Amino acid sequence: MIGLNPVLVVGAGPAGLSAACDLSQAGVRVLLVERREELGGAPARWKYHTLAPDFVPVSRVLGPLIEQVTKSELVEVKKGCVVESFRGSVGDFEVRITELKTRRSETRRVSCVVVATGFEHFDARVDPRYGYGRVPDVIGINELEAMLSQGRVVKRDGSAPKRIAFVFCVGSRDRSTNPWCCTVCCGVSIKQAIELKRILPDSQIYMIYMDVRTTGLWEKLYWDSMEKFGINYIRGRVGEVYHTGQKLLVKGEDTLVRGPFEALFDMVVLAVGMEPGEGTRQAASIFGLNTNEYGFLLPRTPNIHYDSGREGVYLAGSCVAPMSVEEAISDGSAAAMQCVKLMKVMRA
Amino acid sequence: MRKTHEGDARVSEKEEKEKGRFIFERGYIDSERIIEPEKLELGGVDMSGRWGTLVLPRTIEQFDHTLFEEVKKLPGGKNIHRCWQCGNCTAVCPVAHAHPEFNPRYLIHITKMGYKTEIKKFKEYVYLCSGCGRCSVACPRDVDPKGVMSALSILFQRGV
Amino acid sequence: MDERLEITKEDERLFERLASERRAKLAMGTVEDYLRMLQKMRELEQKGEITVHHVTEEYQPVNVTTLSGRLKKIPTVKLWQHKSCGQCGHIPGYVSSLYWIMSELNVPYIDDTNQTSCTAWNYYGSGTSNSVALTAVFLRNMHVAWEKRAYPLIHCGTSYGDYKECRFLLITNSEIRERVRAILKKIDRDIVVPEELVHYSEWLHVMRFEIAQRKKFDVSQVKVAVHAACHTYKLMAEDFTYDESVLGGVKPAPTSSIALALGAKLVEYSNWYDCCGFGFRHILTEREISRSFAYFRKIRPIVNETRADVLLTHDTGCVTTLDKSQVVPLAHGYKESIPVLSDSQFAALAMGAHPFLVCQLHWHVTDWSALLSKMGIDWQKAKEEYKAYLERVKKGEKPYLIKPPPFG
Repeated sequence: MIGLNPVLVVGAGPAGLSAACDLSQAGVRVLLVERREELGGAPARWKYHTLAPDFVPVSRVLGPLIEQVTKSELVEVKKGCVVESFRGSVGDFEVRITELKTRRSETRRVSCVVVATGFEHFDARVDPRYGYGRVPDVIGINELEAMLSQGRVVKRDGSAPKRIAFVFCVGSRDRSTNPWCCTVCCGVSIKQAIELKRILPDSQIYMIYMDVRTTGLWEKLYWDSMEKFGINYIRGRVGEVYHTGQKLLVKGEDTLVRGPFEALFDMVVLAVGMEPGEGTRQAASIFGLNTNEYGFLLPRTPNIHYDSGREGVYLAGSCVAPMSVEEAISDGSAAAMQCVKLMKVMRA
Repeated sequence: MRKTHEGDARVSEKEEKEKGRFIFERGYIDSERIIEPEKLELGGVDMSGRWGTLVLPRTIEQFDHTLFEEVKKLPGGKNIHRCWQCGNCTAVCPVAHAHPEFNPRYLIHITKMGYKTEIKKFKEYVYLCSGCGRCSVACPRDVDPKGVMSALSILFQRGV
Repeated sequence: MDERLEITKEDERLFERLASERRAKLAMGTVEDYLRMLQKMRELEQKGEITVHHVTEEYQPVNVTTLSGRLKKIPTVKLWQHKSCGQCGHIPGYVSSLYWIMSELNVPYIDDTNQTSCTAWNYYGSGTSNSVALTAVFLRNMHVAWEKRAYPLIHCGTSYGDYKECRFLLITNSEIRERVRAILKKIDRDIVVPEELVHYSEWLHVMRFEIAQRKKFDVSQVKVAVHAACHTYKLMAEDFTYDESVLGGVKPAPTSSIALALGAKLVEYSNWYDCCGFGFRHILTEREISRSFAYFRKIRPIVNETRADVLLTHDTGCVTTLDKSQVVPLAHGYKESIPVLSDSQFAALAMGAHPFLVCQLHWHVTDWSALLSKMGIDWQKAKEEYKAYLERVKKGEKPYLIKPPPFG
């Protein structure tokens, strides 16, 4: 579509990459702006190892997308950059893009925008129960993914953990932190527990859960974890994680027994939830987008993610609601389609 | 008087319930956790009975999977690890409806986690199982609770 | 794992506070509500509806920070001793140690006979009394202090907790305020609300360096475990002292700070946040639970995990429960035991106070002899001295009383 301004895609995570990829394959020029110095969003940043439910390596899913956007002549990738301002009308928006390192800005004209600014993992330091950040060997599922990527899961002192506890719903479903459900953490935690059992077959793993929300076809992770890998489940909540000097004393309540437990573990993994990040906040302000009470970008109707309510601006991915990588990819594709439709109309 | 295998006469059930009867919220406490000394003194001060009564904590301090491993070895119990505590078995159990102390779901849970005090409290009730098998039909995970109850009854007989 | 940041002490404190604040939204009288209440107190004062007893310069205040970072003024001189019925009744050494320290530091105070019990134990223990009666008693005591131009220093954690609640209700509820005013009018008093509610342990906290300077015995080999009272830091959490330099500002500062200032070794244990077992009503209606909880959930883990020489606490109920609950388990044959003292007793001992005349250690059930020996205090000699003194008193000698420095 020669003659039309490119589509601005803000964020190069799964949703943004998917949108940029689809657009370029449809012959549309793309200006892909990513805040970090590498493409891939959260999976790249936290070095995700595999994706639930089938343990597909992340590289197999995101690799082709990254390759397409990098190789395609139609995609201009701007890493380490952010969008500072936005104005104009559909077909001819004027955006100012700034390179973070040099603070150099340039003004560009774009036809329409796909906002895919993604999420941030909940910072568990805010919830002091677990001692995250203060006590060694309390880590988040994001950090565990990175360790699994390296094929080596060790405690701070370098030894392998024998007893590991996963705590579900950290920074989710909680009025004092984040009241929503992050949908994927249950499945991801269980996936990780299975992967842990594979590399540390003598370990004893306990999943301390409130509910197990392995939806759809992810359910088999839950069943396999119990039936094939002997992973234990405790229905309950954790009140405090205390470091004895050698081990972690996890204090909680076993709901099914209606009684307190205090057990020693070598490592505690927190299923930290997803929350809107700084990028999403900035995008909302710059693009004039509505947000819901929690800071997620609010589409015109919650059931159709891409429709931001603002002409020419489309939403995709976890900046709208917590979701899995596959859902983000679909979201990006849907937003890309809206751009293609719009540009067809503009050309006519 | 309930006789055990050892043949020793144990404290009668009535006496068990009488223990700690002066404790205000006695109903919440298991008699097993109450130590009411008939005779206790220190330094010439008499602390018998109420004044010397102690209540042991009920914090679960470890998960002991040995009973669970034993159950798995027996044919009826081989699927016990599949249980996810949904409660379908108890929901259809005819015995549980008349005798709430017999709760197949709970028995499986305490067996899997190895909660000794709870096992001690409820092990006698496993013999109430009628073997009707409704639980195994209702179980969505194919745990075969009927088989687990049977395995437990064998293991408890052996004194595990 | 480049994303994992190094956590600074500042961050730690910020995050703990952020989380408390967030949780605070759900409960009454926590951080935000409390700060709003203090604002309302100022407004009521401006409107002339109440009088506020300010911590003015004549009380030589020192600033401390609270949970939210608010500055709280702690008066250091001219104090009105708000005594604890439990202390005077069960562990007189608790309060006499405090008086002795003040006397040594030349801090003028008033030990008024014109004080009523706060009746808080009544309230927490058996649910008797009501908000108007409790508030009226609270204000009656505060009024006496105000008349005498001395600042109330609250000895007991339970009183402190109760007064925090009463002040909150009084400021935020006009009906209670008017009913209390009517009651006070009958005894020729009016509403005077203290600007700050100060617990004596906070006074010890701000005076800790001065106290440490007067130290006579070396406590550097003494391992101290600390227990903080529920009523001081859990009930109306916003009001108690937190200090960045003490335990990173994550746990409340008083008691831990004086132990550190004196040079003792502070130890950590897993059940720090657990109640001592006194509970609210438990010590009355579930004595067996209280004594068992205190022993199995606090004393035994503390002894086994830390091998501490002493357990310090800053509340009447806590000292009595933790100390006296040990006797029944010991009779049963359990071995773990640890002496329990108040921070004021420990500080006084370190400063050279007489273990019996001043610190009244004979009222304690647990064995403190190893602790005193470790500190280098010849308690056998002190015991003989005390016995001789008692004989003399029997024969008519005037008992030894601590004299407060002149008020001026």
